[in-house]
Amino acid sequence: MRLTTRSAALLMLPATALYALFILYPTAKGLLLSLTDAHGVIGGSFIGLDNYRQAFQDPQVLAALKNTLVYTVVVVVVQNVLGLAVASWLYNSPAVRTIARTGLLMPAMMALVAVSYLWSFIYSPVGGPLDAVMNALGLHRLEMSWLGDTHTALMAIAVSYMWMYLGYTATIYLSNYLSIPQSLMEAAALDGARGLARFRHIDWPLLAPSLTVNLTLSTIGSLRVFDLPFIMTDGGPANSTQTLSYVVFQDSFHDFHFAYGTAVAVLLLVITVVVGVLLTTFLRRREVAA
Amino acid sequence: MTLTFPRTRSPLQPAPVDTAPLRRRRLRRVASQCGLLLVTLIVVAPILLMLKVSLESDTDVASHPLALTGHLSLHNYVAAIKDMDYGRSLGNTVLITGGAAVLVMFTGSLAAWPMARIARRWTRLVYQLFVAGLTVPVFVMITPLYMLMRDLKLLDSYTSVILSEAALSLPFAVLFFTSFLRSVPAELEEAAAIDGAGPLRTYWHVIVPLLRPATATLVITLTLSIWNDLVIPLVMLTSDSKQTITLDVYSTIGTHAYSTAQLLPTVVLGTAPLLVVFLVLQRYIVAGITAGVGKS
Repeated sequence: MRLTTRSAALLMLPATALYALFILYPTAKGLLLSLTDAHGVIGGSFIGLDNYRQAFQDPQVLAALKNTLVYTVVVVVVQNVLGLAVASWLYNSPAVRTIARTGLLMPAMMALVAVSYLWSFIYSPVGGPLDAVMNALGLHRLEMSWLGDTHTALMAIAVSYMWMYLGYTATIYLSNYLSIPQSLMEAAALDGARGLARFRHIDWPLLAPSLTVNLTLSTIGSLRVFDLPFIMTDGGPANSTQTLSYVVFQDSFHDFHFAYGTAVAVLLLVITVVVGVLLTTFLRRREVAA
Repeated sequence: MTLTFPRTRSPLQPAPVDTAPLRRRRLRRVASQCGLLLVTLIVVAPILLMLKVSLESDTDVASHPLALTGHLSLHNYVAAIKDMDYGRSLGNTVLITGGAAVLVMFTGSLAAWPMARIARRWTRLVYQLFVAGLTVPVFVMITPLYMLMRDLKLLDSYTSVILSEAALSLPFAVLFFTSFLRSVPAELEEAAAIDGAGPLRTYWHVIVPLLRPATATLVITLTLSIWNDLVIPLVMLTSDSKQTITLDVYSTIGTHAYSTAQLLPTVVLGTAPLLVVFLVLQRYIVAGITAGVGKS
């Protein structure tokens, strides 16, 4: 049926109103708030970019920025390499594909809160299961307080995050694999393409759409990581696992320094948008070229 | 962007061109499949370990974290259910998740219909606004949202969580419904118009049934994300009696020292309902996960 402009606008009204009131308005308000000195219920006068200037000299923010970027790079690279490998393995094992995918996806159904507690238990320094496994393998000397050491805490958190989302990433690559026309794969096999050569010249270009989706999702997801460091280490030891989201939450809801916390959140938004646009532009162009 | 929906397809067979003896190939395939199952087992192992340890006493766990001691009992769970006020939290979570999901379904599908059918500058602009919402981290708006709820006198109410979660879920829902509708022709709607049906009747009798497969996928995807969310309930709710399960798990354990007999049953109770849902409705969850991958 032909929708008139009026009925179209009316149909779109409820969703747009809900979205405008509870997302767009608070976001715009957040941008303004970050330019004030609001602290709890006091303050609120305009101070320009002072919060941002302060943030760029704040050792806590700079440490969080570094932690967030390191965490993101590690998670995005490792999770996608492993996810792609697992997806290719799933694709080539039709007999056990469904059961393997079910198992691999189970961690992604858990809340981040639950994953945090589960892995805190696994890493626990006194009689924890990870140490027990390492004992059994004769690796006593490599044991350490995984979450209590500034060198390992952030990576220990990254491992639990990747454990949670490995199946998720692999599922996306797998669905791309399954959408490749059978005839193409057969032709490649007839031409004698196998192993890594086949992967590089046949699979890799055809997997471009899922690569775009996965890189974008894992980048956005790990840039905003909050629950894991909040629960597993509370930002410690010695600020080594503070992420930008963690700092925003602490500044805003622990110290009630609303304006400053929101300014840090805007930095996170800017980073997310810049990285997101760059990734999408580059990857979409690659998709077209492929 | 095209969407992938649950479909049945016969398992793909690898191309049967090879010079190696058939037996060796088959052996290699079996070995590869066993390897994959082993990897799966390693990934599932922490969950199985959690189930096992949650049934044991602290002293058993401390001496043999990995061994099966045989002293399994539901005692820990009885204590955890009481500590958490589990029934209450479960009810709260169902109410909040259900309320938000219904709200998103109706408003999202109403809006997606004109967005899919009318290509004008203003419909595209509104659509782009929704899409942009996908990249905004919740922390940018959380403080103003908190203040807004305070001014509306909604803090510490189910309504505040339902409205926030619904609004946060709308971008994905609008995107999902719109691309689904774009992939189906408008003929049915035109036929309804010839029969003299107005927009609302057409929506109810044509669009809603048409969207049913997409709706199933979306409801489950949203349930997963709202059920598991910590930040919104943590900021909006203060009274124990209104907590969601995820918040309940957090507030029961907190960040202090714990005993495994207390910790793990709580985590299992927080996780179990969704794992069961997943095992039953897996194909919808997979469809939701793979929604963004183009087919061509």
